[in-house]
Amino acid sequence: MKIDNTQPLEYSTDQNQMNILGFWIFLGAEIMLFATLFATYFIYADRTGSGPTGSDIFEITPVLIETFLLLTSSFTIGLAINAMRLGRKNATLTFLAITLLLGAGFIGFEIFEFVHYYHVGAGLQTSAFTGMLLTTLGTHGAHVTFGFFWGLFILIQIKRDGFNPRTANKSFIFSLYWHFLDVMWIFIFSFIYLKGMM
Amino acid sequence: MKELFPAKQVNGFVFSLVLTVIAISVYFVDMSYEIGLTILLVTAFIQAGVQLIIFMHAGESKDKGSIYTSLFYAIFIALVTIFGSLLAMVWGYM
Amino acid sequence: MEFFERFAVPHPSPLIYASMVAIGLTVLAIIFGITYFKKWGYLWKEWLTTVDHKRIGIMYMISALLMLFRGGADAVMMRLQTSVPDNTFLEAQHYNEVFTTHGVVMIIFMAMAFIIGLMNFVVPLQIGARDVAFPRLNALSFWLYFAGAMLFNISFVIGGSPDAGWTNYYPLASNDFSTSVGVNYYNWALQISGLGTLMTGINFIVTIIKMRAPGMKLMKMPMFTWSALITNAIIVFAFPVLTIALIMGTLDRQFGTSLFTSTSGGMDMQWANLFWIWGHPEVYILILPAFGVYSQIISTFSGRNLYGYKSMVGSMVIISLMSFLVWAHHFFTMGHDAFTNSIFSITTMAIAVPTGIKIFNWLLTMWKGKIRFTVPMLYSVAFIPLFTIGGVTGVMLGVASADFQYHNTMFLVAHFHNVIIPGVVFAMLAGMTYWWPKMFGFMLNEKIGKWAFWFVSIGFCFSFFPMYITGLDGQARRMYTYSESTGFGPLNMLSFFGAGVMAIGFIIIVYNVLYSIKNSPRNIGDDPWDARSLEWATQTPVQEYNFAITPEVESSDAYWDHKKKGYQLFKGNIEKIHMPNNSGLPIIMAGIMLVFAFSFVFYIWAGVIVAAIAFLACLIYRSFEKDDGHYIPVSEIKETENKNGGAN
Repeated sequence: MKIDNTQPLEYSTDQNQMNILGFWIFLGAEIMLFATLFATYFIYADRTGSGPTGSDIFEITPVLIETFLLLTSSFTIGLAINAMRLGRKNATLTFLAITLLLGAGFIGFEIFEFVHYYHVGAGLQTSAFTGMLLTTLGTHGAHVTFGFFWGLFILIQIKRDGFNPRTANKSFIFSLYWHFLDVMWIFIFSFIYLKGMM
Repeated sequence: MKELFPAKQVNGFVFSLVLTVIAISVYFVDMSYEIGLTILLVTAFIQAGVQLIIFMHAGESKDKGSIYTSLFYAIFIALVTIFGSLLAMVWGYM
Repeated sequence: MEFFERFAVPHPSPLIYASMVAIGLTVLAIIFGITYFKKWGYLWKEWLTTVDHKRIGIMYMISALLMLFRGGADAVMMRLQTSVPDNTFLEAQHYNEVFTTHGVVMIIFMAMAFIIGLMNFVVPLQIGARDVAFPRLNALSFWLYFAGAMLFNISFVIGGSPDAGWTNYYPLASNDFSTSVGVNYYNWALQISGLGTLMTGINFIVTIIKMRAPGMKLMKMPMFTWSALITNAIIVFAFPVLTIALIMGTLDRQFGTSLFTSTSGGMDMQWANLFWIWGHPEVYILILPAFGVYSQIISTFSGRNLYGYKSMVGSMVIISLMSFLVWAHHFFTMGHDAFTNSIFSITTMAIAVPTGIKIFNWLLTMWKGKIRFTVPMLYSVAFIPLFTIGGVTGVMLGVASADFQYHNTMFLVAHFHNVIIPGVVFAMLAGMTYWWPKMFGFMLNEKIGKWAFWFVSIGFCFSFFPMYITGLDGQARRMYTYSESTGFGPLNMLSFFGAGVMAIGFIIIVYNVLYSIKNSPRNIGDDPWDARSLEWATQTPVQEYNFAITPEVESSDAYWDHKKKGYQLFKGNIEKIHMPNNSGLPIIMAGIMLVFAFSFVFYIWAGVIVAAIAFLACLIYRSFEKDDGHYIPVSEIKETENKNGGAN
């Protein structure tokens, strides 16, 4: 474990650099995962059977709140990494905590949204359209939920161990994941909700 | 305090909020489907680029060649998958 | 009792009962044997918890060989059933299950495992690395694959096998037409092993990009490593599509959605679309490493460097991109307009061009070379004409208008076996024979190996060439029988004869392994084939740390230059070596995943929840674990090196 002090902590060992590159490649795979969901969703968007259409069930308010929450959390996780590079432990923890709270808020609104769909008769089994809509949103939501707990464990580790090559590397990789979820949400927001309501 | 809010990231955040507002205009402003879809495509891809470069630091390490290669490869195949599927299952399906 | 009724096989036959007994006895025999010889501790410490890429590679290959015999038994049963008209050896349902499991086992659990096994063993050695980038993840990949394979195989005796073909098309795979839990097994077994494969893909890309020996630029990598890099790139971008398709299938079958139904807006052909977006790249995932193996072998046994190195690399890069552009040729007859079919027809034919370039490069490598006809070289030489026939019939199938004639006939079956057997299976047998001495420290007997080669390749021709003719005559694939008036009888009998000859060939290979374990000389040195690339610069058998001193490289045939031009590979002194620690977590996590998936297949929600919590607990444990590996001190390395004659 040679530590290279000219690099930021998260890049400071060979293993750390490989972890980061490996995660970028994983994100490439995630792009394909979501592309498959989008491709199928677009094919099914008008295949509503006897169920409701997108414009029947989509509501702009919760969607806007969710978008704002996730966009802001993507900003704060960026600030957390910035603070980490400055070696400011408390600031990092604060920004990370804010990020996770915003993420939790997002998950809360998404659950609310799903309950709404259920009440207006757009369940998983209603039609190909509703099934695929909920599968796509659910996959994204599951990612955010997973990320929430992942981030929580990293927060605990930074609090306990401070910054070292291990915790810095984990935090940076987590930030990549969180930004990526925001990018995917932008596409969901634009091409599922706004396109559906247009 | 100021160093905790670097201008690059704050500007990036403001810019992405602006892009979001432009995207929402397709809902509130009356326009044709084609124009609306164009606006959505443009704002979504610029936003993704902002996230990748400003927030995710995709180009900062010496592995940026590998990172960009894998991203562009993924985006290329993702677009092929989406439009190819639409061609095979919707547009070209009699 | 009601709880246990779900586990009954829906279509029992004496054959299934016999295999139940056989499986039970084998498991008991293995457990008894290990206990009797007191090997549990050794097995756990040295193999089950290992993170060593060489051992993981060997475990992959052993599993792949087991699966080869499982899938091979299916194949022989199918040929036996169709060998004469109106045969009653297998009934229709049983035949459906046999051809389904044959396809899945051979593609996912045999061929994939074999190529990944070879990559595991060879790639780090070829690039002068001490292990892969993420050794722990590598072990997890293997055990997830293994869990998937086991899950798939127990379907045969518990609950019923999948019966909708390896392509698993809907509506055939829906609850209406496939009433047993078989397709649930299919969904979960592929899901689990697919996860493992995706991790392997990421792992090897990072390994090859970041862990090459000093001086080994990308364009100086041995060709097998290049093929591994490209293959893993395809894996990373293709497997997520399968993941989603399988999730959708699971939702349809187990949660009552209508994604692949023909009611409520569902679209059954979307499964086919997604399946082939993954499935077509998948065939290149199989064939590209095979190309890499042939490149190494042909170059070694022609005594020449590989002709057209750059065009070899370029054609693989083009293939990797184009493999994602052709998928709709698998369902030309679905009802596309002419424009759509033309596009996919043209891309399909175009992909034959880079493949053709590679064929010519191999031929020109052999030209004027001093060819040594060893067993690996025999497979490689036979591969070229046989694979070309398969490629040409592939172009025939790629002509959309003509495909309406060939579609769903034995012609197609003949075509893809004609590319996969001489392409992938021959490469695996050749690669296994070629790298065998590095893995085990002795060589396989050449004479017996040549007998096996002739049986396998002649048997192959007899099994599959008749299918081209019966296919053109109109014999549909996947039909469990036919009437005598069709006239398909004699050619199908010939096919069965060929299958028998092939089976004998594989039995000879097993005999060869046993014979060579007993009789082959052990003092073969480090480089028995007079080979060219870096893996042969290690000691035989390879030490845990691969290279005592990290090699420095100047060309793609670094070891050859070392031998012939006196180029110094190992400069510098022995330093302490950092190695990863073994871990029991991967096998435990894969075991939990097996329980999870098995419970899911049978809707046992308590099991699903418990296993999910246990799996998350493992992830949390891993998150908080601190494991920085260990160092091997210089004194210990020197001692090992001296005992084995030294690397320098």
